[in-house]
Amino acid sequence: MNSIIALSLFGIANLFLGFLNNRKILMPATLAFILFALGLNLADWNTEVLWFNNMLRTNNLSVNFTTVILVATLLVVAISRGFGDDEEHSHPAEYYAIMLFSVVGAIMMVTFENLLMLFIGLEILSVSMYVLTGSDKRNLRSNEAALKYFLMGAFATGILLFGVALVYGATGSFSIYGIGNFVTENRMGQSEITPMLYVGILLIIIGLLFKVSAAPFHFWTPDVYEGAPTIFTAFMSTVVKTAGFAALYRLLSVSFVGEYGKWVYLLYFLCAATLIIANITAVYQQSFKRMMAFSSISHAGYLLMTVTSNQATTQSSILFYSLAYSIATVTAFAVMILVSENKTSNGKPDESFDAFKGLAKNNPLLAFALAVSMLSLAGIPLTAGFWGKFFIFSDAFKRGLILDLIVAVLMSAVGVYYYFKPIIASYMKEGNIQEITIKPIYKLTLIITTILTILLGLMPDLVKSIF
Amino acid sequence: MSLITLIPLFPLIGFLINGIGFNIVPKNLAGIISTAAALASFCCAVVLFMNFSGEVQIAKVFDWITVGKLNISMSFQIDQLSLLMLLIITGVGSLIHIYSMGYMSHDAGYGKFFSFLNLFLFFMLLLVMGSNYVVMFIGWEGVGLCSYLLIGFWNKNTNYGTAARKAFIMNRIGDLGFLLGIFMIISHFGSVEYLDVFEDLGHGTVAGDKTIMWITLLLFIGAMGKSAQIPLYTWLPDAMAGPTPVSALIHAATMVTAGIYMVIRSNALYSLAPETLHIVGWVGLATALLAASIGIFQNDIKKVLAYSTVSQLGYMFMGLGVMAYSSSFFHVMTHAFFKALLFLGAGSVIHAMSDEQDIRKMGGLRKALPITFWTFLIATIAISGIPPFAGFFSKDEILAHVYEHSPLMWGLALAGSVMTSFYMFRLLFLTFFGEFRGTKEQEHHLHESPLSMTLPLMILAVLSAVGGFFNVPHLLGGDSKLANFMAPLFAHSHAVAHAADESLEKTLMIISVIAAILSAGIAYYLFIGKKSVPVADSKVAGLQKVIYNKYYIDELYDTIFVKPISALSKFFYSVIDFLVIDLAIEGIGKLVKGLSSEARLMQDGRTGVYLFVMVLSIAVIIVWTLKDFILVGFK
Amino acid sequence: MQQIPDVIRQIPLNYYVFFSAALFCIGVTGVLTRRNAIIIFMSVELMLNAVNLLLAAFSSYKADPAGQIFVFFIMAVAAAEVAVGLAIIVMIYRNIQTIDTGILNKLKW
Repeated sequence: MNSIIALSLFGIANLFLGFLNNRKILMPATLAFILFALGLNLADWNTEVLWFNNMLRTNNLSVNFTTVILVATLLVVAISRGFGDDEEHSHPAEYYAIMLFSVVGAIMMVTFENLLMLFIGLEILSVSMYVLTGSDKRNLRSNEAALKYFLMGAFATGILLFGVALVYGATGSFSIYGIGNFVTENRMGQSEITPMLYVGILLIIIGLLFKVSAAPFHFWTPDVYEGAPTIFTAFMSTVVKTAGFAALYRLLSVSFVGEYGKWVYLLYFLCAATLIIANITAVYQQSFKRMMAFSSISHAGYLLMTVTSNQATTQSSILFYSLAYSIATVTAFAVMILVSENKTSNGKPDESFDAFKGLAKNNPLLAFALAVSMLSLAGIPLTAGFWGKFFIFSDAFKRGLILDLIVAVLMSAVGVYYYFKPIIASYMKEGNIQEITIKPIYKLTLIITTILTILLGLMPDLVKSIF
Repeated sequence: MSLITLIPLFPLIGFLINGIGFNIVPKNLAGIISTAAALASFCCAVVLFMNFSGEVQIAKVFDWITVGKLNISMSFQIDQLSLLMLLIITGVGSLIHIYSMGYMSHDAGYGKFFSFLNLFLFFMLLLVMGSNYVVMFIGWEGVGLCSYLLIGFWNKNTNYGTAARKAFIMNRIGDLGFLLGIFMIISHFGSVEYLDVFEDLGHGTVAGDKTIMWITLLLFIGAMGKSAQIPLYTWLPDAMAGPTPVSALIHAATMVTAGIYMVIRSNALYSLAPETLHIVGWVGLATALLAASIGIFQNDIKKVLAYSTVSQLGYMFMGLGVMAYSSSFFHVMTHAFFKALLFLGAGSVIHAMSDEQDIRKMGGLRKALPITFWTFLIATIAISGIPPFAGFFSKDEILAHVYEHSPLMWGLALAGSVMTSFYMFRLLFLTFFGEFRGTKEQEHHLHESPLSMTLPLMILAVLSAVGGFFNVPHLLGGDSKLANFMAPLFAHSHAVAHAADESLEKTLMIISVIAAILSAGIAYYLFIGKKSVPVADSKVAGLQKVIYNKYYIDELYDTIFVKPISALSKFFYSVIDFLVIDLAIEGIGKLVKGLSSEARLMQDGRTGVYLFVMVLSIAVIIVWTLKDFILVGFK
Repeated sequence: MQQIPDVIRQIPLNYYVFFSAALFCIGVTGVLTRRNAIIIFMSVELMLNAVNLLLAAFSSYKADPAGQIFVFFIMAVAAAEVAVGLAIIVMIYRNIQTIDTGILNKLKW
């Protein structure tokens, strides 16, 4: 909770730092801010507090989710060296500030106790992301992505709000526990206006499914990920997704659990649909960035499988998966930024798989980091991603979700195909990439994320036992 | 970080430095780093041994796997057995590292060799230090890998590569048994920690329990592979393709004794499985005899030693079979000394002879290589079981226990012992006595090896000479120090063999010593007196030819196992794989790709279309959820 | 002087629900049929207003102020969204002199 206040202040402070002529201090300052917020967040460990008249709640679950979000942000900021180097990004202070603000929104989405806070958090996060997506102002692709994201995001917000209004009308409360109690009683047959409640619940779920890009509400994802500056794509695919799933999980497990039967089959179905659509479509992609977008959708599919569960291990499974996924995704994007900027086609960064050809020859570290992250995303053993999938699959198996499991396993196999494309390109194809100079902090980030991925793959209990 | 965890850490660090930096680390430094790592581990082991209080110490490094109730941790156990193994491994290992600095000095893969040696040391230490069967298995597999890498060290020669592969595959067969044994332990005891398993055994498990029998049998299959027993012994003679220090360290002193270590470690289990012990004993005896008889007619200096190793390992298993655990271990120890010495001496000879290994081309080397000769002589006497050198004490102890178990076995074992003495002295006489039979050029080159090679020889010679006094039996006025030291290890075993009564033991001892000296005398008569030299390969005939060709066991295996399997594999490759698997897999791949190229068209790029699909889906979802209410409306 | 909630309550709740649902659907239809980014955006605002109306009505009928407070938040956030949205639209107009969503389909497949 204190981290929300601190991050808001830091965001403003960052804007003022922009007045200084020295741009070099911005990134270290932002890193320090995030680390400080992380510290404040961890100080809330093992406390259960309600803030602002029951608007927000901090507990271990929220602290864990916030930690994952802040770690992802930290990694993204650490690889954001592009700002300030050229005219296009002439206002680095603002980008950092907006990133901090959006993290505030994300944290609100994991701590909300009242639908009002969910709405505000969602909007803070989304509006910030619209701006960041379009931050490459003269690039038409960035413009198009921003417009698409904005129009569809606003539309999805409208849907979500209509759902909130209907649920309010049915239950008379915005508090998630108030709604939860009502819904549970409603199932006992003590209320009459059930259709309105059902529609409301469905619309809220749909609004959140849009944010986490589950099929068939995923259409914005590939276009927006492709058009946005890569660094913000990395941010979007980690922070927004984690926050979205945290919110979805809290709503489903607290508020809507009473009407389980009305939405759970929908989510089972959408989970399978998401997995199939994302993985099948990803196979044909030629652009690494667009492939990562479909990968992000497919991971939403895996998480959807477990978000409907309410077992003792569910929370830690979601958290572990989000962490493993975030680390691997940031690594992959970090390597991609370096490679694509180094190799331009027609004056634009080359984002296709071909750009990675021959990477391993002169840049063994980059190639290795890329390979590890891809293996982790594909869920190959000895990487964090394997255990992430393993926990989710075993959770689903315990609940007897056989059909979804079969789809998930088949689609994991399909996933291996496209995740191996960049590895094959970098290790087995001929290419002419010279040695890329990497800043020390960038290198350090890559090394840390790679080691973390392997470490979590060897000893998942290291983190899983905390979550 | 405790001293215990440091022991395996040093070789690991050495391996990492030499392995990762094999292009960067200067040649001289590589050997020094590795040797220093081995010596550091040895020092730690000595300190541990000095401070050992007699109680079992467990050092847990981290929890490794937790599945349900089964918790497998990476932890080390220090007790009498692992301490002694540690001393042998790091001590002999250090000496061999020093020796290698001289022996390998002209080799291009110097750094690579030392990094492999250190890696081997690391895994071997894991094997003996692990506090559960899984850690032991990691070490078990690791040493197998290193053995493979080192046998095929000179991989430019395809025969060496084949030998390495043979060793690996034979070991894998054994490993499968070992692994199944571990699985059975997990399912039966619910734990893989030694202490838990043995504790559990104390609760009313009776001897002859079928599960225990299967567990021990499966584990013994693992031991057969690693310790080269019938029928999985054929890899060890071929393993001599590796550099000689490797043969000394891995294929004589340490790795091949892993099977014996494992059985002693699991003595509580084996003591409850008399059937298995029976098999162990007879397999050991058969191996000892078979290998010894092959050894008599071999002409390659290292092959003789290799068969001798197989035969000695057979003795150890025979000892285990009659539950003479500490005697077998005693033999492991003394064998490590004199067999390492023999191999290193052979290495010194080969070094001097410019890589000639055929003893028919040697002879009279004692003048040119005095240190090598004297140390080799000591080792030969030790292995032949002639007092007062090390082999006498350990071998006689085993023989005494065997006699108590079955006089027939004893008689056969004695025959083996006679053969041992014969082929060892034959080797000694042919190599070091008589006239030089090699080329002029070789004669010109003959030289004593450098100090780095002779120093380990001398140290090992001292150990081979006095090693027996660690465990002098009562009979000869000793107090069986080693046996007493190891006694707590066998607390869980219900019955451990006790030695035969002293007068009988004395008789047995005298018989075996006389037999050994007699057969040495025969060798003297044949190879010094009559100056006979083994004939060239083509002239060998009759039974001798069968034995010279190792009873055609390799050819037999080839016909029974290798050829049918390779025919089957060809069938699978050409028919099943090509027609069924490939077509199916490629078909699915094409299908997915085709689907993908269609599916991506959904991503049309127009915001309007996206929104339309969204709204349509929402409408469908709502209608589907509310279908009950809507239907009610129409009724 | 009658209280405002009482005035609102003179109309049955169902009317409000159906009216705002209709308004919402009009908004959705607008989003679906129009290609001009500003008009699409206006239609989204219409959807939000339908939500506001619904919330206000529920709030009055339940005599619970929370709903009306929610309305204020929606209006404030919508204003912020407008600011960002219009900025994006202006940015696009500067680059390609049109805000037709139909031709902004370079990112696809």
